Amino acid sequence: MDLSDWELVQRCQNGDVAAFQELVAKYYRKVYMVVLGILNHRDDAMEVAQEVFFRAYRSIQGFKGGSAFYTWLYRIAVNLSIDFQRRQKRGPTELRETMDEAVDNAEGASSANDPFLDLQSKELGQRLVAAINELTPDHRAVIVMRAIEGLSYKDIGRMLGCSEGTVMSRLHYARKKLQEKLGPYL
Amino acid sequence: MKTNCETVKNSLGAWLDGELGHADAEEIRRHVEGCPSCSGERRRLERVQVVLSGVLETEASRVAFEPFWDGVRRRISEERPRQARLWEWARPAFYPQRIAWAVPVAIVFLLAIFSLVQYAPGWRWGVNRGNVAAVDSIDGHGFNVAVLRESKTKTTVIWLFESQEEDDEASGEPTAKDPAF
Ligand SMILES: [Zn+2]
Repeated sequence: MDLSDWELVQRCQNGDVAAFQELVAKYYRKVYMVVLGILNHRDDAMEVAQEVFFRAYRSIQGFKGGSAFYTWLYRIAVNLSIDFQRRQKRGPTELRETMDEAVDNAEGASSANDPFLDLQSKELGQRLVAAINELTPDHRAVIVMRAIEGLSYKDIGRMLGCSEGTVMSRLHYARKKLQEKLGPYL
Repeated sequence: MKTNCETVKNSLGAWLDGELGHADAEEIRRHVEGCPSCSGERRRLERVQVVLSGVLETEASRVAFEPFWDGVRRRISEERPRQARLWEWARPAFYPQRIAWAVPVAIVFLLAIFSLVQYAPGWRWGVNRGNVAAVDSIDGHGFNVAVLRESKTKTTVIWLFESQEEDDEASGEPTAKDPAF
């Protein structure tokens, strides 16, 4: 695993909160993305992401360095998010308002000179968030993990507690569903 | 056998994710490059992934570290020592109003135990009828006594009188052949 992560973890295990603060600074955005991708709700994502780090801090003594720190951290994030999602039935997403900007950032370079493609992408972003909302938390989790980190199926399987084959079939299913929903916008 | 589009489309995601072995990956790549339908599928898949990452990255970039860390730190500092939490969990049991119901329950329970002791079936040597009493000693120390230990705090001493007959029952109260303790 990343040596500096492991060093920070060991300092945390000796009660060094500043070391933990460094780990939070390093990973909070990624964790937030994972949680947001699954929950699709900003305030909830903020709460749950903070809770992820709190739980990590509380159980850091149990982390033995067998896997990468972020794998361990993402597993907590995914489990908490899925658990939260199952307990809390949310209405439609509130993320659409940021879609324009997000899509600009994501595709700005490639479609800067193509207003039609720009418009299409914005529409796509909005539809995508709505379509993801219709997936089950398990399917959302795999597609988000893959989109954010490009994690291997093996890593994702480890985080979700399932086999690589299951990851592959969930991803395939989730992507197929998204393509069905987004058909004309892709 | 020529790779067909259906098969390729099923493996397209895994191929893009770099999860296929070298030979399979090479086969898919060759097919996709020469097949407009599959290359279109590939473009759509990539687009979904790119837009999703973009949406999440944009959202995450708006979360400042300081308020985030404040939230985490607050949770850490709010967590009291384990003992405090345990006490908090157990404390309601000690509130007077909460234990009010327990007083009559305890009384009834004690009465029930008492009457069971009184009316429980007799206790014979070698036959334990569910009575918790145990014979501690019979005729110990040369005295004519049987010591019956019923609990840590209750011990009954029974005087034994020599019987004229050769009785199977090794003990008995003077007035009863079938002692019920
Ligand atoms: Zn094809």
